[in-house]
Amino acid sequence: MLRRRFLQALAAAGAAGAPYGFARLLAPAAQGADTPFITHLRPPGAITNDAAFTEACTGCALCGEVCPVGAIKFYGREGGSKVNTPYINPRDRACTLCEECMKICPTDALTHVPREKVTMGYAQIDRSACYPWVDKGVCGACATICPLGEKAIGFAFANVYRPVIRDGCVGCGLCVQICPHPSLPIRVVDRSLGRQANPEV
Amino acid sequence: MSRYPNRWKYVNALRLVVLTLAFVPLVFLPYSTIYQHFLAAHAYDMLNASDQRLYDVMNFLTGNFITDAKQFDVVKGTTWSATFWGFKLSDPLAVLSQTAAHTHLHGPLLLSVLLPVLATVILGRFFCGWLCPANLLYELADWIAERLRRAGVPLGDRRFDRRLKYGVLAVGVIASAWGGTVAMSAIYPPAIVGREAYYLIATAGAGAGTAFFAVTLLFDLLVARRGFCRVLCPGGALYSLLGRYRLLRVQRKVDLCNDCKKCDQTCMFDLNPMADGFGQECNNCGACIAVCPTGSLVFEWARKDGPPQGPGHLGSVYKKNKGTPHA
Repeated sequence: MLRRRFLQALAAAGAAGAPYGFARLLAPAAQGADTPFITHLRPPGAITNDAAFTEACTGCALCGEVCPVGAIKFYGREGGSKVNTPYINPRDRACTLCEECMKICPTDALTHVPREKVTMGYAQIDRSACYPWVDKGVCGACATICPLGEKAIGFAFANVYRPVIRDGCVGCGLCVQICPHPSLPIRVVDRSLGRQANPEV
Repeated sequence: MSRYPNRWKYVNALRLVVLTLAFVPLVFLPYSTIYQHFLAAHAYDMLNASDQRLYDVMNFLTGNFITDAKQFDVVKGTTWSATFWGFKLSDPLAVLSQTAAHTHLHGPLLLSVLLPVLATVILGRFFCGWLCPANLLYELADWIAERLRRAGVPLGDRRFDRRLKYGVLAVGVIASAWGGTVAMSAIYPPAIVGREAYYLIATAGAGAGTAFFAVTLLFDLLVARRGFCRVLCPGGALYSLLGRYRLLRVQRKVDLCNDCKKCDQTCMFDLNPMADGFGQECNNCGACIAVCPTGSLVFEWARKDGPPQGPGHLGSVYKKNKGTPHA
């Protein structure tokens, strides 16, 4: 008797859970949910290899002092060997690509490159959350703020408010700072992902 | 007027003024950075009361000279690395440590260290006594400790081997090369003071460096008088090595010396000016020169220290032995 009760309960639970499972299978996957987005970007012009960057940076904090928007912050003890080296959290205050930090760096840790050649990361848009992509909302804040303009971010052909990331994106993170959505469907991911960051769906 | 006037009586006071003037920018520049942000954003009306007060004070101080926020960019940095109108200066220790960590010589960084190294080769370890921002705080702490000692508080005054700091320098360079990070900036007080002042004022708050610096202050106070500079400082070690064959030296005129030992008492590095014991540790601070009652210690251009000259000719030992130089 006990076994039958148990099997009945199991079947009921399975039947009750099935719609959820089907719903999960059919629902559009949150794009890029498995790619970690970066909250600690290196300043523009930084050596791409982070170990090499830590070696080259003397921790003088000059980049933070000249940063006109105060975006550059510094690792504390939680950074381990990265202690006193700079980072930018675009969710907090993003880089405006003004190039001042690259000009002032006394070592080659930040090399002066034109703003189009910066390689901080790559922006990624989660189309399952972005207002215009979800329900034809009217926004376009990210495309308006982008310091590189049409080369880096544009709009989808079918809807003038749906943003798409283009190849010119350098990952400065200004769009992340300006995005009004509370869950930040736009984020900066690793540069090495390249076009994989935004597969055309 | 004394029979033996000391023309360099105020050299130590002058040094303390220079030290203070070198310290002021470390506090002023972080505030100017904040003000610069406010100025660039034309944000006065949006600031809270305390920020408006900061804005008002900075506007009062700089409003007559500076109208464009960009103009603040001409002087930035600390003694670790700084820029003046595009001309960059770095601490030799920063360059040594960074080169070890990166195993790569970076031209612009080497250029920025040229002037400090040249000045050290000529003037010796002058940075420690005349510019180092940590030294100002250590001297202040020592001034307080001296008063505590006189009041009868038992504070430590242990002596350690001064050569220990060359070991710290070597270990720091090896750690930088091995760890691939500029380890020196974490244990070098002037870098810490400059950086932490900036962190405290212009960013969220103090880092680990403040705790480390507090520990060194306690070490000075409770274990060894001026212990960190004398025994442990890796930057002092590097400056000592660079200034070993310095051209400007403190030297003793034996015919004016009266063996009062005030110079030995006042020396922050525990050297013996009265016995001609200067060596590479001397930082040309001039404290012994200022304290000398007969003016027997002077700055001289010389490649090497003179030999030991025995008791001073105005002193009792010399007079008792009827003028023979060596008693």
